[in-house]
Amino acid sequence: MEVSETLAHHILDHDFGVMFGTLHLPITAHTVTMFCISIVLLVMGILMARQGKSGFSRLMHTLGEEYVAFMRDGIVVPGMGAEGKTFVSYFCTLFLFILVSNLAGLIPQMKTITSNIAITGGLALCSGALIVYCGIKFHGVWGFVKTFVPGGTPWWLVPLIFPLEVVSLLIRVCVLAIRLFANMISGHMVLLSLLLIVFIIGQLSKMAGVGTALPAMGLEIAMTLLELLVAFLQAYVFTLLTSIYAGLVIHSH
Amino acid sequence: MEKLLNPDFGVMALTIVNFLLLVWLLHKFAWKSIIGALEKREKQIADDKAAAAQARQEAQNIKAELDAKLQHIAEQAAQKMQEAVALGNAQREQLLTESRQQADRLIEQAKAQIEAEKNKALADVREQVVNTALLAAVKVTQQQMNKESAEKVVDEVLREVKSAGSARA
Repeated sequence: MEVSETLAHHILDHDFGVMFGTLHLPITAHTVTMFCISIVLLVMGILMARQGKSGFSRLMHTLGEEYVAFMRDGIVVPGMGAEGKTFVSYFCTLFLFILVSNLAGLIPQMKTITSNIAITGGLALCSGALIVYCGIKFHGVWGFVKTFVPGGTPWWLVPLIFPLEVVSLLIRVCVLAIRLFANMISGHMVLLSLLLIVFIIGQLSKMAGVGTALPAMGLEIAMTLLELLVAFLQAYVFTLLTSIYAGLVIHSH
Repeated sequence: MEKLLNPDFGVMALTIVNFLLLVWLLHKFAWKSIIGALEKREKQIADDKAAAAQARQEAQNIKAELDAKLQHIAEQAAQKMQEAVALGNAQREQLLTESRQQADRLIEQAKAQIEAEKNKALADVREQVVNTALLAAVKVTQQQMNKESAEKVVDEVLREVKSAGSARA
């Protein structure tokens, strides 16, 4: 097996090919991980919402309140204004889902589902739908369409500006998906490549392979720490950009 | 490797359904109650802050009122003190004047008394001198008198002396 094939084997999704009648259900390693993450998040959310008297219950509730307050006052309101408070639940779920998905790959036998363009694309489409929903909710359908033409634009520029603005919105949504996907997959590729170096050199010379193992492991640890940072950073960036894009649509004049 | 960039639309659809379902479930079972509790606490904190601010304003008003009262009392006390000092000074001056007048009067009375005593003493001395001179004159004249006239003169003198003594007593 070539290096590129080995890398692809470890990174690519594996379809178990479950058929439901004539319908092909995409039950893959990534979707199973996604279901597991969803269940974990749901249980965590329920634990955080409970207002029990035990220390653990109070700790979870306090954590939940702090998290919601951070999302509302640190991301949603600065990006969307007071109108965004209606969507705090969406952003709270989005950030936690992306963060846990990013971190899941660091657990053995789990997959980083955000290294799958279909999954980041699905999340970006949800955010795109939210942006459009905000535009229609606060401006109406015709008002939202008009926001694609900035105020003061000469009439003869409208046919040029309007498609550009529409494409700009689509690109923003695509970029959300690609940024998260690229950041997560690149980290995994580097981690796997560092591991493969040891085996490639080991095939040439066993002594050289053993000699390479120690520096490769050091780099692995450093890269894993970097991955941790990137996991938080990318979850934050995705959520923040979604709120900013939605805010731009809500407050466009 | 090109599979990496070819999205599986089935997975994408499943992701959207799964994620939206998760958003709804978490909103229903977690975020809603957490946001409710958070907003309730924030409202309580805001109310407490407003009440504290109002209490502080009231305390400041009371303090300003008390300060003004204290200032007024201090001014009144200073005024009363000035009045008392002025009254004390006036009374002292009056007492001094009265004492001086009384002393002058006593001195005058003493002087008059001394003068009267002196005059009286001088009169007594003068009388004694006269009497002694008379006795001496009598004694001188006695040498030229006989026994009978002498006895007569002596008796007369004795009477006079006696009467003078009783009058002085």
